[in-house]
Amino acid sequence: MATRMKLKLKTVFVLYFMVSLLGLVYALMQLGQRCDCTEHDMPKDRTISRLRGELHRLQEKMRKAESTKQPQKSQPKPSLPTIFVITPTYARLVQKAELTRLSQTFLHVPQLHWIVVEDSPHKTPLVSEFLAKSGLPYTHLHMPTAKDRKLQEGDPSWLKPRGVEQRNEGLRWLREDRRAQPGGDSQQGVVYFADDDNTYSVPLFDEMRNTQRVSVWPVGLVGGMKYERPVVEGGKVVRFHTGWRPSRPFPMDMAGFAVSLKLVLANPEACFDGEAPMGFLESSFLQGLVTMDELEPKADNCSKVLVWHTRTEKPKMKREEALQAQGLGSDPAVEV
Amino acid sequence: MPKRRDILAIVLIVLPWTLLITVWHQSAIAPLLAIRKDDGVEGKRDAGGQAQDSKEYCASDKDIVEVVRTEYVYTRPPPWSDVLPTIHIITPTYSRPVQKAELTRLANTFLHVPNLHWILVEDSQRRTPLVTRLLRETGLNYTHLNVETPRNYKLRGDTRDPRIPRGTMQRNLALRWLRETFNANSSQAGIVYFADDDNTYSLELFEEMRSTRKVSVWPVAFVGGLRYESPKVNAAGKVYGWKTVFDPHRPFAIDMAGFAINLRLILFKPQAYFKLRGVKGGYQESSLLRELVTLNDLEPKAANCTKILVWHTRTEKPVLVNEGKKGFTDPNVEI
Repeated sequence: MATRMKLKLKTVFVLYFMVSLLGLVYALMQLGQRCDCTEHDMPKDRTISRLRGELHRLQEKMRKAESTKQPQKSQPKPSLPTIFVITPTYARLVQKAELTRLSQTFLHVPQLHWIVVEDSPHKTPLVSEFLAKSGLPYTHLHMPTAKDRKLQEGDPSWLKPRGVEQRNEGLRWLREDRRAQPGGDSQQGVVYFADDDNTYSVPLFDEMRNTQRVSVWPVGLVGGMKYERPVVEGGKVVRFHTGWRPSRPFPMDMAGFAVSLKLVLANPEACFDGEAPMGFLESSFLQGLVTMDELEPKADNCSKVLVWHTRTEKPKMKREEALQAQGLGSDPAVEV
Repeated sequence: MPKRRDILAIVLIVLPWTLLITVWHQSAIAPLLAIRKDDGVEGKRDAGGQAQDSKEYCASDKDIVEVVRTEYVYTRPPPWSDVLPTIHIITPTYSRPVQKAELTRLANTFLHVPNLHWILVEDSQRRTPLVTRLLRETGLNYTHLNVETPRNYKLRGDTRDPRIPRGTMQRNLALRWLRETFNANSSQAGIVYFADDDNTYSLELFEEMRSTRKVSVWPVAFVGGLRYESPKVNAAGKVYGWKTVFDPHRPFAIDMAGFAINLRLILFKPQAYFKLRGVKGGYQESSLLRELVTLNDLEPKAANCTKILVWHTRTEKPVLVNEGKKGFTDPNVEI
């Protein structure tokens, strides 16, 4: 009886040992394998990662296609002159929306450097964050307008010239920045003043890229007319087709011309004169730079409209103001 | 004869092991191990698209790939993907001086969005050459339709009479075109969005709406006389109301730009259209949505409806005083 018992115990221990060993080996093997998580599958995450993977693959494909097209493509494309776009902006409800759709157009233009100048005593977080996320090469500046020059609530938009200090600040920065660059005064580049509420087509930037001095083109929806344009005869600008004060030296809108960087650097004193009479802002800048017959007509001898002087309505805030009077205004933390 | 003591001993030894193995097979432990592995490889998704270095991983089920912000510019739409759901954008438009400008900048926006199909419906008797040429030059994937709103429904001049909804017939035509073109049983994933030609859209919005299962909603800026209107979302992530001042008790107190519908839903409910007659101001969106979903089915996007990704901007009517009666400028120049 005792030996049988002993035997039994021994076998039990051996059994126990074998079973635990097998179990341990089994567990270790499970650890090494990929688990079959079909029961815990999260189909949403799966779809998201699959889509992202697809997006990534597509972008890789595009990048490869672009690089095989132009094997010399590196960071600064030396053959393409940079377009420096100077945009004055100021805080109002539609500011972020305007800058958003402007950036969506600029993203289609290669070698574009966006100089955004805020009418503000300091850089605002809205614009700073926006520019950082925009994906464009940019310079963020600020320059407040003097109080007596500023438009007050209810003033018509044409009462005082707008964006003067900001554009001049943009020019000042550009001159300072470019002076430090190699190449000195013979640098290739174009300077364009783009207001944040206008509409620009992408071909416009191709047209202005090879400006030697000052190039001009028609502007739609400005001057109380469908479009304003320079009149071209024999490849030269002879006069301007405009409905308002055509006797101005340069009766054009800010969006209707671009200046070569060379000219801007060669004339360090040229800037916009805020004291100039209404409508003479552009002339105050261009007068010292170029004469009418030196102007280079673009856009098919100034017969096509590639830029429109659109203006955005001020959104009606009646209900918002009423709510704010009750202390129930919308969450100011939500950026609009 | 095995003693009770022995049996007890055997049971005590074998039991824990059997328990362990059965529990193991319930795979309670295995996923834990897998998840721990995942945390190491998960990349951050930057919806704003900051310029970041790409992290390349093998695209497997669990690995998440970071989206790379490319440095070059798109002059053509991104290549068509077989995986991404198509976004069908329905835009009604009508001839006026700012039309070409509006469509131009809208096209510039859409050229950044992959798998986009633009359905442009003109309010005109026949398709105008201006729009035809514009659509062709953009290179976008588009469908050009037209239907003229009968004179008694059209807005006259400048009157902002909200009882006559503009663009309704055009949107309905586009819905009908979708139903005629796409088969309800096909596996083509699609999202339908109504985009007016004067609004402003951020690129992030289109990626938010791509994952719509039925109807997704988000806030819209500058509507209803407020900085923004938005759906009210509770802690469980469900829409339970509307944060508006103008008639918040509408079934769907939301702007046309504030929602997107899955194409399958449009195809499954072929009778759902925007109501043309007898619609009170602000109820147009409800006239369609109430035939498609209930409040409970709505999917809030844009970080549970806390971010503004679309602005209801309106473009000023340009002052054309200097054109005079006969027109000063050459009418052959297209603006």
